[in-house]
Amino acid sequence: MNKINQPSANNLLRNDQHRAVITGMGIVTTLGETCNEYFDAIIAGCSGISLWKDKDTRLYSKFGGDMSDFDFKSHIERVGKDYPLDWTKGARKLLRSASLSGRLVTVAAMQACYDAKLHYVKLNPERFGHVLGGNNLGNSYAFDNTLEFEKEPDFIAPLYGAVAADTDVLAISSEILNLKGPSFTVGGFCASGNLALLSGLDLVRSGRADAILVSGGAMELSPVWLQGWTLIDAISFRSFNDEPTRASRPFDKRREGFVPSEGAGVIVLESLASAQARGVEIYAELLGASSTSNASRLTKPDLDGQVRAISGALQDAQIEPDRVDYINAHATSTSLGDASEVAAIKQVFGAHSYQIPVNSTKSMLGHCMTASSMVEMITATLQMKHSLVHPTINLEEPDPELDLDFVPHQTREHKINVALSNSFGFGGLNSSIVLGAIN
Amino acid sequence: MSRNEIFTVLKSNMEMIIDGVEGLEIKENNSMVSDFGADSLEVVEVISRTQKQLRIKIPRTALSQVNNIKELIDLFEKAAS
Repeated sequence: MNKINQPSANNLLRNDQHRAVITGMGIVTTLGETCNEYFDAIIAGCSGISLWKDKDTRLYSKFGGDMSDFDFKSHIERVGKDYPLDWTKGARKLLRSASLSGRLVTVAAMQACYDAKLHYVKLNPERFGHVLGGNNLGNSYAFDNTLEFEKEPDFIAPLYGAVAADTDVLAISSEILNLKGPSFTVGGFCASGNLALLSGLDLVRSGRADAILVSGGAMELSPVWLQGWTLIDAISFRSFNDEPTRASRPFDKRREGFVPSEGAGVIVLESLASAQARGVEIYAELLGASSTSNASRLTKPDLDGQVRAISGALQDAQIEPDRVDYINAHATSTSLGDASEVAAIKQVFGAHSYQIPVNSTKSMLGHCMTASSMVEMITATLQMKHSLVHPTINLEEPDPELDLDFVPHQTREHKINVALSNSFGFGGLNSSIVLGAIN
Repeated sequence: MSRNEIFTVLKSNMEMIIDGVEGLEIKENNSMVSDFGADSLEVVEVISRTQKQLRIKIPRTALSQVNNIKELIDLFEKAAS
Protein backbone atom coordinates (compact mmCIF):
# COMPACT_ATOMS: atom_id res chain seq x y z
CA MET A 1 0.00 0.00 0.00
CA ASN A 2 1.33 3.44 -0.82
CA LYS A 3 2.34 5.60 2.07
CA ILE A 4 0.57 8.88 2.02
CA ASN A 5 1.43 12.13 3.62
CA GLN A 6 -1.83 13.65 4.70
CA PRO A 7 -3.26 14.60 8.08
CA SER A 8 -5.22 11.81 9.63
CA ALA A 9 -7.34 11.43 12.69
CA ASN A 10 -5.47 8.22 13.47
CA ASN A 11 -3.65 9.84 16.31
CA LEU A 12 -6.87 10.44 18.12
CA LEU A 13 -7.91 7.97 20.70
CA ARG A 14 -10.74 6.03 19.06
CA ASN A 15 -13.13 5.62 21.93
CA ASP A 16 -16.89 5.38 21.40
CA GLN A 17 -17.23 9.14 21.22
CA HIS A 18 -14.73 9.30 18.39
CA ARG A 19 -16.23 6.53 16.29
CA ALA A 20 -18.86 7.57 13.78
CA VAL A 21 -21.73 5.28 12.84
CA ILE A 22 -24.65 5.48 10.48
CA THR A 23 -28.01 5.42 12.23
CA GLY A 24 -30.36 6.70 9.55
CA MET A 25 -30.57 6.80 5.76
CA GLY A 26 -32.83 8.47 3.22
CA ILE A 27 -32.81 8.48 -0.54
CA VAL A 28 -34.80 9.80 -3.45
CA THR A 29 -33.85 8.80 -6.97
CA THR A 30 -35.36 7.71 -10.26
CA LEU A 31 -35.18 4.15 -8.92
CA GLY A 32 -37.20 4.77 -5.78
CA GLU A 33 -38.14 7.38 -3.25
CA THR A 34 -37.25 5.35 -0.14
CA CYS A 35 -34.34 3.06 0.73
CA ASN A 36 -36.56 -0.01 0.41
CA GLU A 37 -37.95 0.96 -3.00
CA TYR A 38 -34.49 1.86 -4.21
CA PHE A 39 -32.85 -1.31 -2.95
CA ASP A 40 -35.53 -3.52 -4.52
CA ALA A 41 -34.89 -1.80 -7.85
CA ILE A 42 -31.12 -2.12 -7.85
CA ILE A 43 -31.20 -5.73 -6.69
CA ALA A 44 -33.51 -6.40 -9.63
CA GLY A 45 -31.05 -4.69 -11.98
CA CYS A 46 -33.46 -1.95 -13.07
CA SER A 47 -32.38 1.15 -14.94
CA GLY A 48 -33.49 4.63 -13.86
CA ILE A 49 -32.49 6.21 -17.16
CA SER A 50 -35.06 7.58 -19.61
CA LEU A 51 -35.37 10.18 -22.32
CA TRP A 52 -35.48 13.71 -20.87
CA LYS A 53 -39.07 14.59 -20.06
CA ASP A 54 -38.99 18.26 -20.98
CA LYS A 55 -35.70 19.61 -22.20
CA ASP A 56 -34.56 21.60 -25.20
CA THR A 57 -34.69 19.28 -28.20
CA ARG A 58 -31.55 20.88 -29.64
CA LEU A 59 -29.48 19.16 -26.96
CA TYR A 60 -27.14 16.40 -28.10
CA SER A 61 -27.90 14.75 -24.77
CA LYS A 62 -31.33 13.11 -24.98
CA PHE A 63 -31.43 11.01 -21.82
CA GLY A 64 -30.56 10.73 -18.17
CA GLY A 65 -32.11 10.32 -14.75
CA ASP A 66 -34.90 12.89 -14.75
CA MET A 67 -36.53 13.93 -11.48
CA SER A 68 -37.87 17.26 -12.81
CA ASP A 69 -41.50 16.29 -12.16
CA PHE A 70 -40.87 15.19 -8.57
CA ASP A 71 -43.98 15.99 -6.52
CA PHE A 72 -42.97 16.64 -2.92
CA LYS A 73 -46.56 16.83 -1.69
CA SER A 74 -47.50 13.37 -2.88
CA HIS A 75 -44.14 12.03 -1.66
CA ILE A 76 -44.78 13.35 1.85
CA GLU A 77 -48.34 12.04 1.83
CA ARG A 78 -47.13 8.59 0.83
CA VAL A 79 -43.80 8.26 2.62
CA GLY A 80 -44.20 10.67 5.54
CA LYS A 81 -47.59 9.75 6.90
CA ASP A 82 -46.05 8.88 10.28
CA TYR A 83 -43.68 11.86 10.42
CA PRO A 84 -44.16 14.39 13.22
CA LEU A 85 -46.69 17.05 12.27
CA ASP A 86 -44.17 19.88 12.59
CA TRP A 87 -41.92 18.18 10.02
CA THR A 88 -44.63 17.80 7.41
CA LYS A 89 -46.07 21.23 8.08
CA GLY A 90 -42.61 22.80 7.82
CA ALA A 91 -41.83 20.88 4.65
CA ARG A 92 -45.07 21.89 2.93
CA LYS A 93 -44.39 25.52 3.75
CA LEU A 94 -40.70 25.70 2.91
CA LEU A 95 -40.65 23.42 -0.12
CA ARG A 96 -43.30 25.38 -1.99
CA SER A 97 -40.73 28.00 -2.97
CA ALA A 98 -37.69 25.69 -2.94
CA SER A 99 -35.61 24.53 -5.87
CA LEU A 100 -35.87 20.91 -7.02
CA SER A 101 -32.56 20.27 -5.25
CA GLY A 102 -33.97 21.66 -2.02
CA ARG A 103 -37.03 19.45 -2.34
CA LEU A 104 -35.08 16.26 -3.03
CA VAL A 105 -32.56 16.81 -0.24
CA THR A 106 -35.23 17.75 2.28
CA VAL A 107 -37.41 14.69 1.75
CA ALA A 108 -34.32 12.45 1.92
CA ALA A 109 -33.23 14.25 5.11
CA MET A 110 -36.61 13.65 6.73
CA GLN A 111 -36.41 9.96 5.81
CA ALA A 112 -32.93 9.71 7.36
CA CYS A 113 -33.94 11.42 10.60
CA TYR A 114 -37.10 9.35 10.89
CA ASP A 115 -35.07 6.21 10.22
CA ALA A 116 -32.66 7.27 13.00
CA LYS A 117 -35.65 7.60 15.36
CA LEU A 118 -34.85 11.25 15.90
CA HIS A 119 -38.54 12.03 16.13
CA TYR A 120 -38.71 10.42 19.56
CA VAL A 121 -35.18 9.76 20.82
CA LYS A 122 -33.86 13.22 20.20
CA LEU A 123 -30.44 14.79 20.18
CA ASN A 124 -29.40 18.10 21.65
CA PRO A 125 -29.99 20.40 18.63
CA GLU A 126 -26.82 22.37 19.35
CA ARG A 127 -24.79 19.13 19.12
CA PHE A 128 -26.48 18.06 15.86
CA GLY A 129 -25.08 19.69 12.72
CA HIS A 130 -25.52 19.48 8.99
CA VAL A 131 -22.95 19.11 6.22
CA LEU A 132 -24.31 19.36 2.71
CA GLY A 133 -22.13 17.90 -0.03
CA GLY A 134 -22.49 19.61 -3.36
CA ASN A 135 -22.01 22.80 -5.29
CA ASN A 136 -23.85 24.46 -8.21
CA LEU A 137 -27.02 22.64 -7.21
CA GLY A 138 -29.99 24.75 -8.32
CA ASN A 139 -29.14 24.89 -12.00
CA SER A 140 -32.59 24.40 -13.50
CA TYR A 141 -33.96 26.92 -11.02
CA ALA A 142 -31.29 29.43 -12.08
CA PHE A 143 -31.77 28.65 -15.78
CA ASP A 144 -35.55 29.08 -15.65
CA ASN A 145 -35.20 32.34 -13.79
CA THR A 146 -32.65 33.61 -16.26
CA LEU A 147 -35.19 33.02 -19.03
CA GLU A 148 -37.83 34.80 -16.94
CA PHE A 149 -35.43 37.70 -16.37
CA GLU A 150 -35.00 38.06 -20.11
CA LYS A 151 -38.77 38.50 -20.41
CA GLU A 152 -39.35 40.68 -17.33
CA PRO A 153 -36.76 41.26 -14.57
CA ASP A 154 -39.38 42.07 -11.95
CA PHE A 155 -41.07 38.71 -12.33
CA ILE A 156 -38.27 36.32 -11.44
CA ALA A 157 -38.99 33.98 -8.50
CA PRO A 158 -39.64 36.21 -5.47
CA LEU A 159 -37.13 34.42 -3.26
CA TYR A 160 -34.48 33.87 -5.92
CA GLY A 161 -31.93 35.86 -3.90
CA ALA A 162 -32.07 33.22 -1.17
CA VAL A 163 -33.21 30.06 -2.93
CA ALA A 164 -30.57 30.06 -5.68
CA ALA A 165 -27.82 29.68 -3.06
CA ASP A 166 -26.66 26.16 -2.22
CA THR A 167 -26.98 27.07 1.44
CA ASP A 168 -30.77 27.28 1.02
CA VAL A 169 -30.79 23.56 0.24
CA LEU A 170 -29.04 22.98 3.57
CA ALA A 171 -31.11 25.53 5.50
CA ILE A 172 -34.52 24.08 4.68
CA SER A 173 -33.89 20.72 6.28
CA SER A 174 -31.93 22.33 9.12
CA GLU A 175 -35.02 24.46 9.89
CA ILE A 176 -37.50 21.60 9.65
CA LEU A 177 -35.34 19.22 11.69
CA ASN A 178 -34.00 21.85 14.10
CA LEU A 179 -30.28 21.29 13.48
CA LYS A 180 -28.26 23.96 15.28
CA GLY A 181 -24.77 22.44 15.43
CA PRO A 182 -21.84 22.91 13.01
CA SER A 183 -23.25 23.39 9.52
CA PHE A 184 -21.80 24.21 6.11
CA THR A 185 -21.64 23.07 2.51
CA VAL A 186 -18.74 21.11 1.00
CA GLY A 187 -18.27 21.47 -2.73
CA GLY A 188 -16.26 18.88 -4.59
CA PHE A 189 -18.47 18.29 -7.61
CA CYS A 190 -18.73 14.51 -8.20
CA ALA A 191 -16.67 13.83 -5.07
CA SER A 192 -18.91 16.05 -2.91
CA GLY A 193 -20.73 13.27 -1.09
CA ASN A 194 -17.56 11.56 0.08
CA LEU A 195 -16.00 14.90 1.00
CA ALA A 196 -19.09 15.73 3.05
CA LEU A 197 -18.70 12.36 4.77
CA LEU A 198 -15.07 13.17 5.48
CA SER A 199 -16.10 16.50 7.02
CA GLY A 200 -18.87 14.85 9.04
CA LEU A 201 -16.45 12.19 10.24
CA ASP A 202 -13.94 14.81 11.37
CA LEU A 203 -16.64 16.76 13.22
CA VAL A 204 -17.76 13.68 15.13
CA ARG A 205 -14.22 12.44 15.80
CA SER A 206 -13.12 15.82 17.08
CA GLY A 207 -16.08 16.04 19.42
CA ARG A 208 -17.45 19.20 17.80
CA ALA A 209 -20.79 17.45 17.38
CA ASP A 210 -22.61 14.33 18.58
CA ALA A 211 -24.20 13.84 15.19
CA ILE A 212 -24.12 15.30 11.70
CA LEU A 213 -26.78 15.07 9.06
CA VAL A 214 -24.65 14.43 5.96
CA SER A 215 -26.48 15.29 2.77
CA GLY A 216 -25.59 14.48 -0.81
CA GLY A 217 -27.06 17.46 -2.60
CA ALA A 218 -28.96 16.80 -5.80
CA MET A 219 -27.56 18.67 -8.78
CA GLU A 220 -30.29 19.90 -11.08
CA LEU A 221 -29.49 19.14 -14.71
CA SER A 222 -30.01 22.28 -16.74
CA PRO A 223 -29.66 22.20 -20.51
CA VAL A 224 -26.59 24.43 -20.39
CA TRP A 225 -24.74 21.97 -18.16
CA LEU A 226 -25.79 19.05 -20.36
CA GLN A 227 -24.54 20.84 -23.43
CA GLY A 228 -21.33 21.80 -21.63
CA TRP A 229 -20.59 18.20 -20.71
CA THR A 230 -21.28 17.17 -24.28
CA LEU A 231 -18.80 19.69 -25.63
CA ILE A 232 -16.01 18.33 -23.41
CA ASP A 233 -17.03 14.80 -24.43
CA ALA A 234 -17.84 13.71 -20.89
CA ILE A 235 -21.37 12.33 -21.30
CA SER A 236 -22.94 9.67 -23.47
CA PHE A 237 -24.77 11.13 -26.47
CA ARG A 238 -23.72 9.19 -29.56
CA SER A 239 -25.05 5.64 -29.70
CA PHE A 240 -27.88 5.14 -27.26
CA ASN A 241 -30.51 7.78 -27.96
CA ASP A 242 -32.95 5.01 -28.91
CA GLU A 243 -31.98 2.81 -25.96
CA PRO A 244 -31.31 5.10 -23.00
CA THR A 245 -31.36 2.29 -20.43
CA ARG A 246 -28.32 0.76 -22.16
CA ALA A 247 -26.26 3.95 -22.21
CA SER A 248 -24.62 3.70 -18.78
CA ARG A 249 -22.34 0.70 -19.24
CA PRO A 250 -19.28 0.88 -16.97
CA PHE A 251 -16.40 -1.46 -17.83
CA ASP A 252 -18.07 -2.38 -21.14
CA LYS A 253 -16.22 -2.05 -24.41
CA ARG A 254 -18.91 0.27 -25.83
CA ARG A 255 -18.98 2.73 -22.94
CA GLU A 256 -18.88 6.29 -24.20
CA GLY A 257 -19.41 8.66 -21.31
CA PHE A 258 -21.38 9.12 -18.12
CA VAL A 259 -25.15 9.43 -17.98
CA PRO A 260 -26.19 12.31 -15.71
CA SER A 261 -28.95 11.81 -13.21
CA GLU A 262 -30.84 13.68 -10.52
CA GLY A 263 -31.23 12.35 -6.99
CA ALA A 264 -30.27 12.86 -3.37
CA GLY A 265 -29.12 10.77 -0.45
CA VAL A 266 -28.82 11.72 3.20
CA ILE A 267 -27.52 9.93 6.29
CA VAL A 268 -27.37 10.54 10.01
CA LEU A 269 -23.75 10.13 11.11
CA GLU A 270 -23.55 9.85 14.85
CA SER A 271 -20.94 9.06 17.47
CA LEU A 272 -21.10 5.46 18.58
CA ALA A 273 -21.58 6.64 22.17
CA SER A 274 -24.59 8.76 21.18
CA ALA A 275 -26.16 5.98 19.11
CA GLN A 276 -25.74 3.51 21.95
CA ALA A 277 -27.15 5.98 24.47
CA ARG A 278 -30.20 6.48 22.25
CA GLY A 279 -30.52 2.74 21.73
CA VAL A 280 -31.03 2.95 17.98
CA GLU A 281 -30.11 0.56 15.20
CA ILE A 282 -26.63 1.02 13.76
CA TYR A 283 -26.22 0.21 10.07
CA ALA A 284 -22.46 0.51 9.73
CA GLU A 285 -19.42 2.39 10.92
CA LEU A 286 -17.70 5.02 8.82
CA LEU A 287 -14.16 3.87 9.43
CA GLY A 288 -12.20 6.29 7.33
CA ALA A 289 -12.14 8.84 4.53
CA SER A 290 -9.63 10.65 2.37
CA SER A 291 -9.21 13.57 0.04
CA THR A 292 -6.52 14.07 -2.59
CA SER A 293 -5.98 16.43 -5.47
CA ASN A 294 -4.45 15.85 -8.89
CA ALA A 295 -3.24 19.46 -8.89
CA SER A 296 -4.76 19.77 -12.34
CA ARG A 297 -7.89 21.34 -13.81
CA LEU A 298 -8.09 18.65 -16.46
CA THR A 299 -11.17 16.44 -16.29
CA LYS A 300 -9.18 13.32 -17.14
CA PRO A 301 -8.53 10.89 -14.28
CA ASP A 302 -5.18 10.69 -12.54
CA LEU A 303 -3.98 7.27 -11.40
CA ASP A 304 -1.70 8.60 -8.69
CA GLY A 305 -4.44 10.78 -7.20
CA GLN A 306 -6.86 7.85 -7.15
CA VAL A 307 -4.31 5.47 -5.61
CA ARG A 308 -3.52 8.00 -2.91
CA ALA A 309 -7.23 8.48 -2.20
CA ILE A 310 -7.91 4.75 -1.82
CA SER A 311 -4.74 4.18 0.22
CA GLY A 312 -5.45 7.22 2.34
CA ALA A 313 -8.96 6.08 3.24
CA LEU A 314 -7.67 2.63 4.21
CA GLN A 315 -4.91 4.16 6.29
CA ASP A 316 -7.36 6.50 8.00
CA ALA A 317 -9.60 3.51 8.70
CA GLN A 318 -6.65 1.46 9.98
CA ILE A 319 -7.68 -1.31 7.59
CA GLU A 320 -5.24 -3.48 5.64
CA PRO A 321 -6.19 -3.86 1.97
CA ASP A 322 -6.79 -7.59 2.21
CA ARG A 323 -9.65 -7.01 4.65
CA VAL A 324 -11.71 -5.13 2.05
CA ASP A 325 -14.37 -7.43 0.67
CA TYR A 326 -16.48 -5.09 -1.46
CA ILE A 327 -15.84 -2.01 -3.61
CA ASN A 328 -18.49 0.37 -4.86
CA ALA A 329 -16.62 1.84 -7.81
CA HIS A 330 -16.91 5.40 -9.05
CA ALA A 331 -17.25 3.74 -12.47
CA THR A 332 -19.01 6.40 -14.48
CA SER A 333 -18.90 4.60 -17.83
CA THR A 334 -16.22 6.81 -19.34
CA SER A 335 -13.43 5.25 -21.33
CA LEU A 336 -10.53 6.73 -19.36
CA GLY A 337 -12.20 6.90 -15.96
CA ASP A 338 -13.16 3.25 -15.64
CA ALA A 339 -9.75 2.12 -16.86
CA SER A 340 -7.90 4.36 -14.44
CA GLU A 341 -10.01 3.25 -11.47
CA VAL A 342 -9.40 -0.42 -12.25
CA ALA A 343 -5.68 0.28 -12.46
CA ALA A 344 -5.80 2.13 -9.14
CA ILE A 345 -7.64 -0.76 -7.46
CA LYS A 346 -5.08 -3.22 -8.81
CA GLN A 347 -2.21 -1.07 -7.64
CA VAL A 348 -3.56 -0.80 -4.09
CA PHE A 349 -4.96 -4.30 -3.65
CA GLY A 350 -2.63 -6.35 -5.82
CA ALA A 351 -3.73 -9.98 -6.23
CA HIS A 352 -6.51 -9.44 -3.70
CA SER A 353 -8.26 -7.12 -6.17
CA TYR A 354 -9.43 -10.21 -8.09
CA GLN A 355 -11.16 -11.52 -4.97
CA ILE A 356 -13.28 -8.41 -4.40
CA PRO A 357 -16.67 -7.79 -6.05
CA VAL A 358 -16.46 -4.35 -7.67
CA ASN A 359 -19.82 -3.09 -8.93
CA SER A 360 -21.13 0.11 -10.45
CA THR A 361 -24.33 1.62 -9.08
CA LYS A 362 -24.17 4.14 -11.92
CA SER A 363 -24.84 1.37 -14.44
CA MET A 364 -28.46 1.48 -13.22
CA LEU A 365 -28.92 4.90 -11.73
CA GLY A 366 -26.65 7.01 -13.89
CA HIS A 367 -24.37 9.58 -12.34
CA CYS A 368 -26.07 11.59 -9.58
CA MET A 369 -23.20 14.05 -9.79
CA THR A 370 -22.79 15.93 -6.49
CA ALA A 371 -25.00 13.39 -4.71
CA SER A 372 -23.49 10.31 -6.32
CA SER A 373 -21.04 9.27 -3.63
CA MET A 374 -23.62 9.73 -0.87
CA VAL A 375 -26.11 7.63 -2.82
CA GLU A 376 -23.39 5.03 -3.36
CA MET A 377 -22.42 4.99 0.32
CA ILE A 378 -26.06 4.29 1.14
CA THR A 379 -26.04 1.62 -1.56
CA ALA A 380 -22.96 0.00 -0.01
CA THR A 381 -24.55 0.09 3.43
CA LEU A 382 -27.77 -1.49 2.18
CA GLN A 383 -25.80 -4.24 0.47
CA MET A 384 -23.85 -4.79 3.69
CA LYS A 385 -27.09 -5.05 5.62
CA HIS A 386 -28.63 -7.57 3.24
CA SER A 387 -25.42 -9.49 2.38
CA LEU A 388 -26.03 -8.94 -1.32
CA VAL A 389 -24.07 -7.23 -4.08
CA HIS A 390 -26.08 -5.65 -6.85
CA PRO A 391 -25.31 -6.23 -10.51
CA THR A 392 -23.41 -4.03 -12.91
CA ILE A 393 -25.87 -3.94 -15.77
CA ASN A 394 -25.15 -3.43 -19.48
CA LEU A 395 -21.82 -5.20 -19.17
CA GLU A 396 -22.51 -7.04 -22.40
CA GLU A 397 -19.06 -6.97 -23.94
CA PRO A 398 -16.51 -6.61 -21.15
CA ASP A 399 -13.51 -4.51 -22.00
CA PRO A 400 -10.70 -7.09 -22.14
CA GLU A 401 -8.37 -4.64 -20.43
CA LEU A 402 -10.68 -4.51 -17.40
CA ASP A 403 -10.73 -7.89 -15.75
CA LEU A 404 -11.96 -7.57 -12.17
CA ASP A 405 -15.12 -9.17 -10.79
CA PHE A 406 -17.67 -6.51 -11.77
CA VAL A 407 -20.72 -8.57 -10.74
CA PRO A 408 -22.21 -8.58 -14.25
CA HIS A 409 -25.96 -8.87 -14.81
CA GLN A 410 -27.04 -10.66 -11.63
CA THR A 411 -27.27 -9.84 -7.94
CA ARG A 412 -25.19 -12.16 -5.80
CA GLU A 413 -25.15 -13.15 -2.14
CA HIS A 414 -22.00 -11.85 -0.54
CA LYS A 415 -21.14 -11.10 3.06
CA ILE A 416 -19.60 -7.64 3.39
CA ASN A 417 -17.50 -6.72 6.42
CA VAL A 418 -15.44 -3.88 4.99
CA ALA A 419 -16.53 -1.80 2.01
CA LEU A 420 -14.68 0.83 0.03
CA SER A 421 -16.48 3.48 -2.03
CA ASN A 422 -14.64 5.74 -4.45
CA SER A 423 -15.56 9.10 -5.94
CA PHE A 424 -13.56 11.27 -8.25
CA GLY A 425 -14.66 14.74 -9.28
CA PHE A 426 -13.99 17.48 -11.81
CA GLY A 427 -11.34 19.77 -10.46
CA GLY A 428 -8.95 16.87 -10.01
CA LEU A 429 -10.58 15.86 -6.71
CA ASN A 430 -10.48 12.30 -5.40
CA SER A 431 -12.06 10.88 -2.30
CA SER A 432 -12.65 7.42 -0.89
CA ILE A 433 -14.45 6.20 2.19
CA VAL A 434 -14.30 2.93 4.13
CA LEU A 435 -17.32 1.39 5.85
CA GLY A 436 -17.26 -1.39 8.40
CA ALA A 437 -19.99 -3.75 9.48
CA ILE A 438 -21.11 -3.51 13.09
CA ASN A 439 -21.29 -6.89 14.73
CA MET B 1 -58.23 46.95 -12.71
CA SER B 2 -60.47 47.50 -9.72
CA ARG B 3 -59.33 47.87 -6.15
CA ASN B 4 -61.43 44.85 -5.26
CA GLU B 5 -59.66 42.68 -7.86
CA ILE B 6 -56.25 43.64 -6.44
CA PHE B 7 -57.40 42.95 -2.87
CA THR B 8 -58.78 39.55 -3.88
CA VAL B 9 -55.46 38.40 -5.40
CA LEU B 10 -53.51 39.82 -2.49
CA LYS B 11 -55.69 38.02 0.05
CA SER B 12 -55.41 34.77 -1.82
CA ASN B 13 -51.61 35.01 -1.79
CA MET B 14 -51.54 35.95 1.90
CA GLU B 15 -53.65 32.90 2.71
CA MET B 16 -51.37 30.66 0.68
CA ILE B 17 -48.03 32.02 1.88
CA ILE B 18 -48.34 33.38 5.42
CA ASP B 19 -48.63 30.79 8.17
CA GLY B 20 -51.95 30.81 9.99
CA VAL B 21 -53.75 33.39 7.83
CA GLU B 22 -56.05 30.95 6.13
CA GLY B 23 -59.56 31.29 7.56
CA LEU B 24 -58.90 34.68 9.17
CA GLU B 25 -60.60 37.88 8.11
CA ILE B 26 -58.21 40.20 6.29
CA LYS B 27 -58.97 43.90 6.34
CA GLU B 28 -57.36 46.77 4.49
CA ASN B 29 -56.08 48.34 7.69
CA ASN B 30 -54.25 45.13 8.67
CA SER B 31 -50.47 44.78 8.43
CA MET B 32 -48.99 41.53 7.17
CA VAL B 33 -46.19 41.70 9.73
CA SER B 34 -47.79 43.08 12.91
CA ASP B 35 -51.25 41.53 12.52
CA PHE B 36 -50.43 38.20 10.91
CA GLY B 37 -46.81 37.61 11.96
CA ALA B 38 -45.44 37.37 8.42
CA ASP B 39 -41.67 37.08 8.14
CA SER B 40 -39.63 39.16 5.71
CA LEU B 41 -39.50 36.45 3.03
CA GLU B 42 -43.24 35.85 3.22
CA VAL B 43 -43.95 39.56 2.64
CA VAL B 44 -41.64 39.60 -0.39
CA GLU B 45 -43.28 36.49 -1.77
CA VAL B 46 -46.83 37.81 -1.32
CA ILE B 47 -46.06 41.10 -3.05
CA SER B 48 -43.99 39.59 -5.87
CA ARG B 49 -46.54 36.88 -6.63
CA THR B 50 -49.33 39.44 -6.67
CA GLN B 51 -47.38 41.64 -9.07
CA LYS B 52 -46.74 38.76 -11.41
CA GLN B 53 -50.31 37.49 -11.37
CA LEU B 54 -51.72 40.96 -12.00
CA ARG B 55 -48.89 41.84 -14.42
CA ILE B 56 -48.40 45.09 -12.51
CA LYS B 57 -44.97 46.40 -11.59
CA ILE B 58 -44.74 48.63 -8.55
CA PRO B 59 -41.57 50.55 -7.76
CA ARG B 60 -39.46 48.65 -5.22
CA THR B 61 -38.33 51.93 -3.66
CA ALA B 62 -41.93 52.71 -2.66
CA LEU B 63 -42.46 49.44 -0.82
CA SER B 64 -40.46 50.46 2.24
CA GLN B 65 -43.01 53.23 2.90
CA VAL B 66 -45.96 50.85 3.04
CA ASN B 67 -47.49 50.35 6.50
CA ASN B 68 -50.59 48.32 5.80
CA ILE B 69 -52.55 46.49 3.14
CA LYS B 70 -54.51 49.59 2.16
CA GLU B 71 -51.31 51.45 1.28
CA LEU B 72 -50.10 48.45 -0.65
CA ILE B 73 -53.29 48.31 -2.70
CA ASP B 74 -52.94 52.06 -3.28
CA LEU B 75 -49.53 51.40 -4.81
CA PHE B 76 -50.90 48.66 -7.06
CA GLU B 77 -53.77 50.91 -8.16
CA LYS B 78 -51.42 53.76 -8.93
CA ALA B 79 -49.04 51.55 -10.89
CA ALA B 80 -51.92 50.05 -12.87
CA SER B 81 -53.38 53.39 -13.89
